[in-house]
Amino acid sequence: MHTEPSRPHTLTDFTTALDQLRGSVLTMASLTKKNLQNSIQGLFLRDDDFCNHSIADDEEIDLLEIQIDREGIDVMSRFQPVAKDLREVISSIKIGANIERVADQAVNIARRARKLNEHPELHELHLLDQVIKLSLEMFEDAIRAFAERNASLAVELKARDKILDRLNKEATDELINRMQDDSRNLPAFLNMIFISRCLERIGDHAANIAEDVVFAVRAEDIRHLGK
Amino acid sequence: MSNDYTSSEAHPIQVSHETARPYELTDVVSPSKTNFIKVDDFRFFYGKKEVLHGINLEIPSRRVTSFIGPSGCGKSTLLRNFNRMNELIPGVRHEGDITIHGTSIFDPSVEVIALRRRIGMVFQKSNPFPMSIYGNIVYPLRIAGQGDRSMLDETVERCLRSAALWDEVKDRLHESALGLSGGQMQRLCIARAIASRPEILLMDEPCSALDPIATAKVEELIIELKRNFTIIIVTHNMHQASRVSELTAFFYLGNLVEFDETRKIFTNPSKLQTEEYITGRFG
Repeated sequence: MHTEPSRPHTLTDFTTALDQLRGSVLTMASLTKKNLQNSIQGLFLRDDDFCNHSIADDEEIDLLEIQIDREGIDVMSRFQPVAKDLREVISSIKIGANIERVADQAVNIARRARKLNEHPELHELHLLDQVIKLSLEMFEDAIRAFAERNASLAVELKARDKILDRLNKEATDELINRMQDDSRNLPAFLNMIFISRCLERIGDHAANIAEDVVFAVRAEDIRHLGK
Repeated sequence: MSNDYTSSEAHPIQVSHETARPYELTDVVSPSKTNFIKVDDFRFFYGKKEVLHGINLEIPSRRVTSFIGPSGCGKSTLLRNFNRMNELIPGVRHEGDITIHGTSIFDPSVEVIALRRRIGMVFQKSNPFPMSIYGNIVYPLRIAGQGDRSMLDETVERCLRSAALWDEVKDRLHESALGLSGGQMQRLCIARAIASRPEILLMDEPCSALDPIATAKVEELIIELKRNFTIIIVTHNMHQASRVSELTAFFYLGNLVEFDETRKIFTNPSKLQTEEYITGRFG
């Protein structure tokens, strides 16, 4: 396929509609990133207000998912896009769905954080540091890849997802060991394991977004390769 | 190499006065995907002006191939060369060759009338003759010398059925064709085009004057007819090309820019020019 940039669409309404759809995805991603940061702050600062903020703001993200679907259908029905325009619309709708699931994981983390905040602080929380760092980076990079139409960055994310899976497993194994040594804090360790799993799933959604970016930019389907 | 267009050995579907019979969709000829029409470094000139610049193209049989491109790109000019219709225009000439089944259509031994009997054509504007529906269908057979009434009756029914028009007109076959709706007239023209059992059907924007329902009926007909005919359709409607054709050729300024499977052209074209045209970023 060619890689040269192309000219704007002859129909300015079409360009406007595509820009609007793209803008909605980026707005949704920005709100989701904020919610995710609120959940993590609520966890480490032991502040329920951050957690509540994240949970409350999820509704706006749900509405944005619906809006993106509506805008995508509108573009398809009005302009019948083909080639890269069609790929962009399809990918935007799929990316919207993945972002919504990331936002759901932010809510799950916030709920688990509120439960942890009911008990004394445990230093084992820092076992999640690497998982948190990588999952947030992956989500940010997935959205950056979409914003910049950067397929190379998107391809990298697939490899990083495997690292995240390993970090999640290491953290989970370590927390299971602590559960055996310290059964008093078993519910807290369980909540941490669930949080780690939420973060690992955020990585999965970031990888899904990356796959959709590669499809939109290069017309290549990189799903389920190497399995 | 044989230049005899009426030789039954050279061509699986023979058209002659003796054997002409109405086409049946149930006539299953083994589906051939081999290249059938070959355009070889073809250049075409209106006077001194070259309008097709060295086109190379191989069109397989019994598939629908769309020619797309902006006005003036040469797609209709190339289409009209397949049955040598352009020769009706004074001052035209060509270089290169077009072969069908390996035989040049420009070979001196080829009779243009026989060639056109093998290559039916449907135009942008339906052009029924000012005679009855029945008379339109049998016209090509009558001028070919066929007079057997029962055979003509059978031809009319089968061609109209093939064109999905029989049920709508069977009770008024002897009424004027000019009383039909636009969509019916176009399907009548398709029925007439297949009456002489051509191998190839050329369609030059066949739906551009039709409403969406009539367009859908013609498109359905095209998909049905490809089982027995090699169809080449010129269209400005991108979505029509993507719906009905398996192969698409994109022309621009007399050049063939890209020729590939339709699915590839409309999802991931190889050339920037193609993408800009089909996505509406052209001009």
